[in-house]
Amino acid sequence: MSRDMLDVCSWVIETARKAGADECKARISKNRFVEVEYREKKPEKIKEATTQRLDIDVYVNQRYSSQDTSDLRQESLKEFILNAIKNTKLLEADPYRTLPDPSYYEGRANIDLRISDPEYSGLTAEKRHDMVKEIEAACLQRGGDKIVSVTARVNDEFYEEAVMTSNGLEGHRESTECWAEAEATVQDEGDRRPTAYHWAGSRTLRDLPDPESVGRVAAERAFDLLGAKKIDTETLPVIIENRNVRRILGGFMQGLNGRNIQQKRSFLADRKGQKIGSDLFTLIDEPHIEGGFGSRLYDGDGFPTKKRILIEAGVLKDFLVDWYYSRKLGWEPTSGDTTNLVIPPGKRSVKEIMKDLGRGIYITGFIGGNSNSTTGDASVGIDCHLFEDGELVQPIAEMNIADNHLKFWHKLVEVANDPWPYSSWRMPSLVFTDVVVSGV
Amino acid sequence: MKLINRRSFLKNSAAGAGALALSRIIPGSWVSTTKAISKEYFESEFGIDDGMCRRVLDKALSRGGDFADLYFEHTISNWVLLEDGKVDRAYGSVDLGVGIRTVKGEQTGYGFTQELTEESMMAAAATAATIANTSGKKSDSTFVKQKSENYYPLKSLLTDVPLSSKLPLVKTVNDTCFELSDLIVKVRAGLHDSQKRMMIVTSDGVKAEDLLPRNYLYASIVAEKNGRKEQGWFNYGGRRDFSYYTLERAEEIAKKAVDQTVVLFDAIQPPAGEMPVVLGPGITGILLHEAIGHGMEADFNKKNVSTYATMIGKKVAEPFVTIVDDATIPHQLGSLNIDDEGVPGKRTVLVEDGILTSYLHDKISASYYKVEPTGNGRRQSYQHYPVPRMRNTYMLAGSAQSEDVIKSVEKGIYVQNVSNGQVKIGEGDFAFYVSQGQMIENGKLTAPIKDVNIMGNGPKMLTNVTMVADNLELNQGGTGSCGKDGQRVPCSFGQPTCLVKSMTVGGIQ
Repeated sequence: MSRDMLDVCSWVIETARKAGADECKARISKNRFVEVEYREKKPEKIKEATTQRLDIDVYVNQRYSSQDTSDLRQESLKEFILNAIKNTKLLEADPYRTLPDPSYYEGRANIDLRISDPEYSGLTAEKRHDMVKEIEAACLQRGGDKIVSVTARVNDEFYEEAVMTSNGLEGHRESTECWAEAEATVQDEGDRRPTAYHWAGSRTLRDLPDPESVGRVAAERAFDLLGAKKIDTETLPVIIENRNVRRILGGFMQGLNGRNIQQKRSFLADRKGQKIGSDLFTLIDEPHIEGGFGSRLYDGDGFPTKKRILIEAGVLKDFLVDWYYSRKLGWEPTSGDTTNLVIPPGKRSVKEIMKDLGRGIYITGFIGGNSNSTTGDASVGIDCHLFEDGELVQPIAEMNIADNHLKFWHKLVEVANDPWPYSSWRMPSLVFTDVVVSGV
Repeated sequence: MKLINRRSFLKNSAAGAGALALSRIIPGSWVSTTKAISKEYFESEFGIDDGMCRRVLDKALSRGGDFADLYFEHTISNWVLLEDGKVDRAYGSVDLGVGIRTVKGEQTGYGFTQELTEESMMAAAATAATIANTSGKKSDSTFVKQKSENYYPLKSLLTDVPLSSKLPLVKTVNDTCFELSDLIVKVRAGLHDSQKRMMIVTSDGVKAEDLLPRNYLYASIVAEKNGRKEQGWFNYGGRRDFSYYTLERAEEIAKKAVDQTVVLFDAIQPPAGEMPVVLGPGITGILLHEAIGHGMEADFNKKNVSTYATMIGKKVAEPFVTIVDDATIPHQLGSLNIDDEGVPGKRTVLVEDGILTSYLHDKISASYYKVEPTGNGRRQSYQHYPVPRMRNTYMLAGSAQSEDVIKSVEKGIYVQNVSNGQVKIGEGDFAFYVSQGQMIENGKLTAPIKDVNIMGNGPKMLTNVTMVADNLELNQGGTGSCGKDGQRVPCSFGQPTCLVKSMTVGGIQ
């Protein structure tokens, strides 16, 4: 299939150039997905479909536009392309808009990232139903009479793309994903009915964790939410659970973005080489992890991916700068994308760390809030537990943390040993000290 | 505004255009269609006739479903963007497809296709049909066209306006920002327009068509003062036609964005903790969306996972509090002539004089509760099945004067601009982010505040509304959207000035 897809890309580019485009980039993608959801021991939702899309970027006399369509028939595409080029000419010229220098395409790794399941076509409807039934049954069994509602789901996806530019880039990628999920709602005091989620995913069906564990853990996480109370505002050590680190780190990452830097919207713009966090804050982009959800051989510009250290021992080492914004900034491009983001794990478990900390807050979710990329100010609601001497003693409601990223990451005092595997952001739980948690 | 939901399940690639649509693109506009406003659009443009619909519906019911519907969609979207003083980029996108749903009791089977051929639709219908497993039945033999009001009458479509007419608007936003303040260092501006044509055909004989515009003009700016930078933005939009977007409106957008940004240089973060909160009029209605709106969506209550699941008919607020969800406001972003199940747009009262009165229903939940659907069955696109969603949610005006509401507070905060609301349905706990406001000290507005999250509990917040002013305003933006079950739909909200006597402010100590 890849050759067919590349042939269509080639035809698109040739047609665009004949119609007046100086340069062109074409990407064709196909996606097939299936979702099965159960509730009350019967299918609640079944969904299945295949989509396809062509994205084209055209460059005409320093003018640029981007469009997409799912119609891959040649006669329709031709008119689509002609129209795109005609209208692109109406825009203002931008000397920075070009395809990358082809020398930047060189050096792509020749490795198998193992992100596509060779056995995917063997995944049957029956197997999907069996898995989701198992998830639901485990959640109901663990939840017992406290359970108000359980929803169990599995979904899977096959994705394929081919990309080509008029100046020599060619790329092809195939991937699969399988996910299992449970939502458990339990009855609390009065009208409170807390809901908890648990999920797991993998590139191959073979690597998907036991469905039973997904259902069981969702029920256990729901139990943990029972009896939540508000507590006073105070300053405490805080542990952010691995799966939730992404929400806080995401606000920080806005500052690394090349567009934000060029547009004066980055609180990190002039801090390269400076210490912006504690010695424990190291952040690495690892594109070639086998089976990684972010693993890829080329980025959005077509540049070969490579390991990049963004933060090392608290020192800002690198930004995320794509081709276009590198030209506007007058910098060397790095890559505008991230792949698998990694904070190297520490040695101790969350449980061990809690024991040493004595009293603190364990954050298991976020609600609302925002992070300002220009100033670095952030304020966000938290789902959390008070812990004492290594034990969770009280779920907490209506609590918030607020800080500035330029101060907050200096408060990182320990990294746990538990990187979250079900995401392209493989974050371990992180421990911060002296955080104001605002409640009553 | 999004519900807590750990991830969007499916990373559906955006669908693209159908072949027929692309062959009718006309010059002058970015992506467009020749027929501005036509009846029986899908029949005349794509050959979708009643016989074909009936055969596909029969296939969807072939394994014993109770009900089936077809949702045809053709959406065209354009973006024209300015950065660093130049309108130098544009994006266009076309979505065409049909979603086929089979309902059996509370169960849903769903398939969709991007090809509007009978063969492809029959295959998608076969997928949807698998939700049932008994003997088949037939759809109604005739379809009756659903009548509805028109809450967004259009003289013309933005998608048919030439690009050359749009450029001055975007340039005016940019130039006005720089003219208004020497502190402005960066401006991004843009005009977005989309038109969604949809047609619903149901197995119980209903056929309905609509054309939904959505558009907005915006300014996003950065100001710098003494080495410090602040960002802000503003937009106007909704379900408008091109006559709404005048150069004067472009200037007003620039002024609002500049005013809201430069004031931030004097802003502080308020102290943390519980305190009275006065909500200014307009966009602060996001609080209602989170605190009560989502919890009143009937699918959550049907599953008994909402904190409001047992509260219908009960007193939840003071008698001067009435809250509605309304599809019938002209040109408002959440307005609908018909919903995505073919039910005409309606106004639904959630809380009337302090009493909880009605959930927001789609057809499945209405059938479960044995009530009429409220017209809240909505979906992001043909790739999604409908679920109960809000439209324009707001509190009716009270009798207090807004100045008196502020005067009544000894120490608290006044909220002017908000974003990023979120709610936990089962607990009723919600949060929203205050990007701009002011401290209230001794009954007077004092220092500006910014970047603070506010938290509360829905039912508790409602009982804490102690004053409602007479100055209801609806948000006039075109960017509001709400996320649920991996789907986003446009919506809006409104609010008169009101006092909530206590909420948790996530400021600094």
